[in-house]
Parts: sequence; structure tokens; C-alpha cells
Amino acid sequence: MTRASRWGAGLFIGCYLMILSAGIIGHTLKVGLARNALSYFVVWDMFCGWQAYDQRLHFIAETSDGRYFDVSEPWGAFEPFGDVGRVHYDFSSRMLSKHIDHIVSHTAHDPFDCVYIVQECWPKQHNLPDSMWEKNFCGPRDKVSYYHLRAICDTQGVVMNLYPDWYQQQKLSSIADNPRVRHQARQSHSSFGVMYNPSTGSHSSHGPGLGDGLDFQAATN
Amino acid sequence: MSRTVKSQPTILDVLKTFFFEEQVPFGAALARIFLPLMALIPMLMRFPRVRELYTTDGTPIQMFELFGQGEVLPVLAPGPAVMLYSLMVFCLVSSSIGWNTRFSLATGVTLYTYFNLLDAVGTMTKYSVIASHLMLLLTVSSCGNVWSVDEFLRRRRNPNSTFASRAAPVWPARLMQLLFAFIYFGAAITKIQTAAFFSGEQMRYWMLSNWNYENPIGELMAMWAPLLLVAAYVTCVWEIVFAFLVWHRRARFVMLGVGATFHIMTCVTLGLYVFPSICLSGYLCFARPEDIVAVRRWFRNQSFSLPFSRLALPQPPRWMPSAAAWSMVACLFAVTSIEAELRMDIFGTRRPEGMMELTEIDPEVAKERIYSEQPLREKDKVFSFHLGTASVGGQVANRRTEFEHGELLLAECNLNPPHEDMWVECSLQDEHQHQISSFGQFVTREMLRAHFTYQIDERIAPGSYFLVLHSAGEEIARRPFSVTRDETSVANAPGVYGN
Repeated sequence: MTRASRWGAGLFIGCYLMILSAGIIGHTLKVGLARNALSYFVVWDMFCGWQAYDQRLHFIAETSDGRYFDVSEPWGAFEPFGDVGRVHYDFSSRMLSKHIDHIVSHTAHDPFDCVYIVQECWPKQHNLPDSMWEKNFCGPRDKVSYYHLRAICDTQGVVMNLYPDWYQQQKLSSIADNPRVRHQARQSHSSFGVMYNPSTGSHSSHGPGLGDGLDFQAATN
Repeated sequence: MSRTVKSQPTILDVLKTFFFEEQVPFGAALARIFLPLMALIPMLMRFPRVRELYTTDGTPIQMFELFGQGEVLPVLAPGPAVMLYSLMVFCLVSSSIGWNTRFSLATGVTLYTYFNLLDAVGTMTKYSVIASHLMLLLTVSSCGNVWSVDEFLRRRRNPNSTFASRAAPVWPARLMQLLFAFIYFGAAITKIQTAAFFSGEQMRYWMLSNWNYENPIGELMAMWAPLLLVAAYVTCVWEIVFAFLVWHRRARFVMLGVGATFHIMTCVTLGLYVFPSICLSGYLCFARPEDIVAVRRWFRNQSFSLPFSRLALPQPPRWMPSAAAWSMVACLFAVTSIEAELRMDIFGTRRPEGMMELTEIDPEVAKERIYSEQPLREKDKVFSFHLGTASVGGQVANRRTEFEHGELLLAECNLNPPHEDMWVECSLQDEHQHQISSFGQFVTREMLRAHFTYQIDERIAPGSYFLVLHSAGEEIARRPFSVTRDETSVANAPGVYGN
């Protein structure tokens, strides 16, 4: 091994170990890894949390004459890791638009008004086979799926309305199930001043000043 | 009196030996043979869907998009994408057999990483990341020096070459080994930061998820939280100590043995098939030359011989350069793939009967799904309700339906998060459903379980009973059990309940 190749190898080893170390430190201390896709290559968070409820997505298109169509691949959904279609693994909802546009543009159908994206959720204990259900839960299985409107898109897949997902909605509901917190939330007025000039300490004459801004609660209501 | 002074090696000497010791790269060669094939399995499954997953005619979602960085990588038209994909497949195969090893690995890992990054939803996972790392390190290694087509061709040119002449610095294999140490250490940090991991809840919900392949043993284990709790601690401790003990000559086998068991268990409990295959292929880089010598010696001592050991290998023509032959086969494979993909017409857009049609849904069903916002039922907030007598880590460790006087009955109610602050009641009823006692407790939103304890004593007469769980005034679950008399105890003491 020549001196140059040994130095080259040493440099490679040093850089590689530094990158791996940066991943561990960044992940442990939660610094410097956000908004960087390459961090996925050095962070080992294979176990990042599982929810108590299972879910699937349904894409339902509505025509102007009140007919409904299932917007799913007629050629068969690709199932990447088992027997669940690929779109159901899209936990960040980034794929919704492309998925709708892709299916709508590759199939024959009547013109649609909009596409509803509905989340179906159920408690995971209902995933157990019947034999195990009988052994672990006395009584018959009484499975109910909860349907929740996640988004409304146009026919190109552009999201027109996006709502919190069912799981998030349950979290919010569990917190809101407290009259005191609910009362205090009603009393609060969020504001956002966009025309305040900190250098002069004055409000612009062209728009609302600090404290005169949008009331988000009112806006969302 | 003379004294021999033995100079201690410095840290630099130790590091030099650790990284630059020259060994025949048997371990890296074994990893080279198996790893690309394991990485290839999921990619072959995706081969018919290249157009859908990775091209402008499909729905690729780049990893960069998930991180809010937009589309950083170029997305190709179906023709070039299929060509590159088939080139990647060919490179992974030729890497495995060691044909133009370094170039095949370099091209293969580049294209493998590119296609994984292109589809963050249905292709990119942590096993892709691990495979990319390992193949990158194999690229800079001398893994093609042994058990490869390259070696076969080299020996034809130089029949007197020996294994010793193929020794190379061991640092690429060391980096592969260190990669595993980092992975496990990082995974342990993640687990430490996930409190619900150490109570078994997280594993339970993962095992009950059907997002991976079949996992019947996982479903069985999911109902035994104390088992998951013990497994959680063992896993975490092993992941931390791996980085420190795997270098020890003897502890290495224990560490790798536990690791192999752990990965095989993820196969049967979580339905992960590719992840353990890739990790176990990577484990082969821990093989030392003396291990290979020992295995060879064992094989030689056996009376059997491999069926192909005496097979005369075909002699390639001397005028054919290996690189040119490799290129020709790769081109042929790519062109064939493009034609095959075109003929497949996966979306059916060139069918004589026209494009495929969407299925119409019954309006009532559609409206029910779109507009129904049913509140969560009380019974769906509860995962399970069990009775037992022993607990591990604060959880019922045995399931019992028969109790004797003198025993402590533990009733455990597991809750599905998220739930609001709840008032949960447990009532004891006799066989005629007459209530004997009832008491409740607050279960705040962060709690995942509630316990009720009953001292089974003389106040509860022998017979059949029920424990009934209530929440918000509704009956959630009912568990039957029976109480038998302990012959040594005094029967019918004053204040007997029920019956």
C-alpha cells in the first residue's frame, strides 16, 4: 500500500466515521437534522412509534350528477411491503395529489367535480385472527371502522381543503375534553401584526398594526 | 540485573493495525456475494412497476420532498428510467458473482440509491439505507479478490497466484463492522427516547399492524406484554454493548449470535423479510480468515464433496476482454427490459378496448364514508381486560380464570391511546349478575393501563363470578372467573359476599 493510498484511505475513514457520528449526535440531541433528506442516511430511528389504530385511505370521486367512483388503480395497486397498497404508506400526505392526478389521467370516466379523501381507522386488536380473538377477548368481535374526511381535492389532485387526520383529531378531542381549557381557548385572541416597523416603533398607515391582526380562531371558525 | 523493557503500542499503532492490517478479504467477499442479491429481491419485485414508481409517467415522491426540499433529483421518462433500472439489476447480479466487481458495485450502488431516493413512499426504507452504505464500502474494498469471476480470470492469466497474494488492507471491512455498531447504538438511543417501548405498548401495536408481511408469532406475542417488556430491555442492552464487545475474539460470537437471533425474530414477529436478510448478509463482513480456514477444514474432514467441485469450468476465449463482454451483456439486458416493459402496458392505455374504467360506488356507501364522523366508542378506547395473579413490570404476567382463597386477583385494563381523562369502574358480580362490589379510578390521558386488585379471601364464597369493566356508564368488557375453597382455610367466615 503506497503512502498516498494510505492517506486517501485514512481520509475516507475519518470522513465516514465523522458523518456517522454526526448522525448519532444530531439524532440524540435533536439538532441539525431537520429539513435535510440526507440525514435519513445517518439516523437510525427504525423504531419511531406505532399507533393504536390501523388506517387505510379511500379516494372517492363525485360527479356533477351525484354518482361516486372509487379512485383506485384499476390495474391493481402496487403493494410494496406486504398486502397493503403503496398509497396507504404515505403518512405525510405528500402523494395524495399525484396519486389522484395519475389515476384520473390514466382511466376512462365521466367528468368529476371533486375527489374526497377519506381515512378509515379501527383499533388494532381487530387485526387478530378469529381464533386469537376468542382466546383473548371474551365475547363476539364487534369491529367498527371510523371514517374521517381527510381532504377534498380537485380532479387534478390539487388539495382544496385539508383537515387534521383522524388520529390527530382524537388527540385534539381528548385535550378539548376539559371545560376549563376549552373556556380559556375561547377567551384567547391570536394576532399577527405584519405592518409593524421595529426600527421606528410605528405602525404602517397601509395596513393593520400589531394587535390589530387576524384573529386565527375567528378565521378558522 | 537486566530487565527487558517491552514497548507498549501507542493508540496510533493500534489504529494502524486495526484499519490497515492486511488480510485476504474473505468476509467482504462473502458479503459481496450475498448482499447485492438480498438488495435485489425488493427491486425485482418493483421491476414491473418502474413506470409507476420512478418515471414522469408515474407518481414518484422523492425523499427530498418529504423533507420539504422539493424535487432535487431528475425524474426520467419511462424509456431511460427502465434502461437504468435494468442496468442496476444487472450490476447487482454481476457484483454478486464478482464480474467487473468494483465497477459493477459502483454503478449498482449509485443507481440503487437513486431509485430508492426517487420513491420515498414505496421503496426507500432503512434497509435500503443500510444496503447503500454496505455496497458503498464494498466498492472501495478488495472484495473481488476472492471467489469471483475477476479472480478466476486473473488466475487464468497467472496460474501461480496464491491466496496470500490477494491480501488487502482490512479497513473497508472494519468500516462495515463499525457501521453495524453505529446502527445498533443509534437504534438504542431511539428506543431510550421512546418511553412506550419499555412498557411493551409500541411493540404490541407494531406486531398487530399489517403493514409488513405475515407475522403470526408476532400476533401471539403481542398479547403478552411482559414478554415484550423483557425483550425490550434485552434488545436495548444488546444494542448498546454490541459496539464494545463485537471486537473481542470470543464475545464476538455471542454478540453476532444474539444479533442473528434478533434479526430472525423480526422476521417471524414483525413480518420483516428483507431487513433481516440484508443485515445478516452484512454480518458476513465479520468473518475472519481463520474462521474461513476452520470452516474449510471442517468441510474437508467430512466424507462428502460438493457436486460441482470437479466440474470443469468453461474457458472463455482469451481474446475477449472482460469489460467489453460485461458491457455487451449489460446493453442486451437493458434493451430487452425496455421492450418487455413496453409490451407489458401496465396502465392498459394501449388496449384495443381503450383505457380502463373506474369502479362506481353505491352512493349510500360513499356518502356514509364521506360524511359520517362517528365519535369513538368507549369500548374502542380499551385494548384488553385481563385477570391474573402475578405481575411483571407492573403488568399482568399470567392469565387466570380460577382463584383460590388467599390469592390476590389483579384485573388489568389496557387502553388505546389517545384517550381523554376517563373514569373507569370495575364491578364484581356473582353468577346471577348481582353486583357485589364496585369501585373506580381516574385514568388520565397519559395512562396506558389501569389496575384493580381484589384480595380473594373468606368474604368471597366459592363459586362463579364476573368482573365487569365500565367506562362512561357503559359496559366495556366482562370476564368470568371462579373462586375455589382453600381446604386449609376456615370456611364461611363472617361477612361473606355473594351467593
